[in-house]
Amino acid sequence: MTQTKCPEEPAGRDRLDAIFNPRSVAVLGVTATPGTVPYDIFYNILASGYRGVLYPVAPGKRSISAVRAYRYVIDVPDEVDLAVIVFPASVVDKALEQCGQKGIKAAIIISAGFREVGAEGAKRERRIREICDHYGIALIGPNCLGVINTDPKTLLNASFARKMPPRGRIAFLSQSGALCTAVLDYARAKSIGFSKFVSFGNKAGVTEIDLLDYLHRDERTDVILLYLEELRDGRALIDAARRVTRGDNPKPILAIKAGRTPQGADAASSHTGSLAAEDAICEAVFREAGIIRVQSIEDLFNSAILLAYQPMPAGNRLAIVTNAGGPGVMATDAAVSAGLEMPPLTRRTTDRLRRALPASANIKNPVDVIGDARADRYVAALEAVLADPNVEQVLVILTPQSMTDIDDIARGIVRVHAGTDKPIACSFMGASDVASGVAILQAAHVPHYAMPEWACQAMADVQRVRRWRQQRPEEVNGDLAVDREAAAAILEALPAGYLREDQALEVLKAYGFPVPEYRLCRSAEEAVAFAEQIGFPVVLRVVSPQIVHKFDVKGVALDLGDAGAVQEAYQGIMDNVARVRPGAEVLGVICRTLIPPGHEVILGAKRDAVFGPTLMFGLGGLFVAVFRDVTFALAPIDTGTAARMVREVKAYSLLEGARGTEPADVREIERCLLRLGRLVADFPRIAELDVNPLIVGPAGKGAQVADVRIRVD
Amino acid sequence: MATVEERVKAVTARVLGVDLAGIKLQDEFRADLGAESIQSVELVANFEEEFGIEMDEDEALSVETVGGAVEYIVKLCREQGIEVET
Repeated sequence: MTQTKCPEEPAGRDRLDAIFNPRSVAVLGVTATPGTVPYDIFYNILASGYRGVLYPVAPGKRSISAVRAYRYVIDVPDEVDLAVIVFPASVVDKALEQCGQKGIKAAIIISAGFREVGAEGAKRERRIREICDHYGIALIGPNCLGVINTDPKTLLNASFARKMPPRGRIAFLSQSGALCTAVLDYARAKSIGFSKFVSFGNKAGVTEIDLLDYLHRDERTDVILLYLEELRDGRALIDAARRVTRGDNPKPILAIKAGRTPQGADAASSHTGSLAAEDAICEAVFREAGIIRVQSIEDLFNSAILLAYQPMPAGNRLAIVTNAGGPGVMATDAAVSAGLEMPPLTRRTTDRLRRALPASANIKNPVDVIGDARADRYVAALEAVLADPNVEQVLVILTPQSMTDIDDIARGIVRVHAGTDKPIACSFMGASDVASGVAILQAAHVPHYAMPEWACQAMADVQRVRRWRQQRPEEVNGDLAVDREAAAAILEALPAGYLREDQALEVLKAYGFPVPEYRLCRSAEEAVAFAEQIGFPVVLRVVSPQIVHKFDVKGVALDLGDAGAVQEAYQGIMDNVARVRPGAEVLGVICRTLIPPGHEVILGAKRDAVFGPTLMFGLGGLFVAVFRDVTFALAPIDTGTAARMVREVKAYSLLEGARGTEPADVREIERCLLRLGRLVADFPRIAELDVNPLIVGPAGKGAQVADVRIRVD
Repeated sequence: MATVEERVKAVTARVLGVDLAGIKLQDEFRADLGAESIQSVELVANFEEEFGIEMDEDEALSVETVGGAVEYIVKLCREQGIEVET
């Protein structure tokens, strides 16, 4: 076979444009049997009204649905932009190779039978990745549903979803193919349209990161929805999502993350290891990235329709207009709980409402237009609250009563909606009686929610987006004074395993942690002399490469007030260790000052197989061990993230000075977190690191490292 | 009418461009007759057309030898009510 010359990419044409806006498509492996994936993909492209040229490739067949078929893709006489491959998995590599020879720069592999089916499939997937790398093919899949682009210039349904969804401003990216068809059906019922719809399956080539960047540039997309089962590169996702969600052309990203990546086989022995649950880290990744994480498909679309079809509100102040008191009160509770504000209306607005509404109406926020309200009353109230400078968004609630002219009210809301720059959401409560009114609202893209609480939740998500955009991005703190070389001298010279305490303390000291004055003393006399130098009381802690848990071997003596106590404690420790761990090589003890009592907190780090270095923060004792009250972030972190980590633990109020205690030096904790992030990012050899506890003094008085454990591999 | 074996060999010779007389029942399509995986798809399509049967593509592609193909096609013809000479 001869290699066809690769067509040059026209200037400015995006690499992924060949996937979304191909001028010609070849479907490789089409069969003649309707109802099978290989036929339906071909048929769906035909039926979607695709604007380009379509070539079926079906070895051994003259035609498919009266369209002339080609034996191999290299037999197609014209240039092909996109190959959609539906051959059985065992044949895909050959077909893809031919695509490369033909100079095709984009492919979608629908076929299953790759990484998801085990070792043999993983081998096949590696092979297709090699072919794509060799020929520079942008690949979606394998094992996916395909791609849909509703842009009227293209109109491509290269998927086995039967119907082309309506056009809209929302892009949907999904790792699950089966979910896509359900989502399309769900969205269609709610008149929700899409700009692009992508099922990216095993993401052997193009990943969600590439797609996010592409959709950021896509003029037809305003909101991006993401369904992920597996996150491979948390740091890259954060960087890409930040580019998308902030800056000149910000677009919100809403995501569902399901499933868990298998944890590394190395069982974690430290607190950090056992607590660094993948899901909690994922939560941290999304937060750092400005991605709004939701829990269900319902939540995903509830928030998406508000973001896609309503202007961004200027603030969080909400007015409610309702014809039923109870739902109005419930909605008020939901709104306030979700962080929205229910402001008082201005005098001018209440005067206007008083004139328009009956005397029994409630003219304060939430405005109750009373059960017998018809469209005129709703419209008057809605216009009045929208004109109020205290109001930044409105929720309209309707319960269907015998005199309620539901459709007229819906049309009235649509009319008012067209003339305002403030967002409106509606909740016509019920199901069958309100259905026609809901349809009127949805057709006009006025967001509708079956329950007012859902509307409030969606509005709260919009507030998260608004706040994220206002937040000034903070640089990763690069000016920490650290002595990288001193730490490297220790960390890079040691074999895999735990560092001795004196070595671990040296590493922390090199990175600027507040480490108490200490010395490795090899005899009782040396310990006494050093204690006299630094002042009593002191602490002795055994140092042995074989002993990680010092308390278990009674290798720690606290609060030693004089030389005699030090002398006695030294001997006691040696005796204990000799009895409990007879074979251990004992180098001596760490002698250091006794740290005055304070708040005990834990700072941890763990290198995660998926996310790389991750940080953990929690309060010591029960808070971590029992309540698992901890927060995570990917390292390195910026000052904003450090502040967020400390404030996010539920027990933060204790650090603020609850129950009459003095507030803790939170700034010092933040500085330690920044240093820890920098340390583990600088040294990939660090597998686990626990500063447990860091004893934190009152505000302005600093903190001291009481114990540290570092494992390298 | 020619037998299933003769017809299978004839289709194989035509699609793969090999000498009809040299094809033996124990020949493997890939190892002995030089079929590339993608040509197997073509073979399957041609067998379907030759015998007027429908084949499950994955199942058909797992058949490795000419003799295996003959057996598989005889079985399908029986199931699908197609009369053939065996």
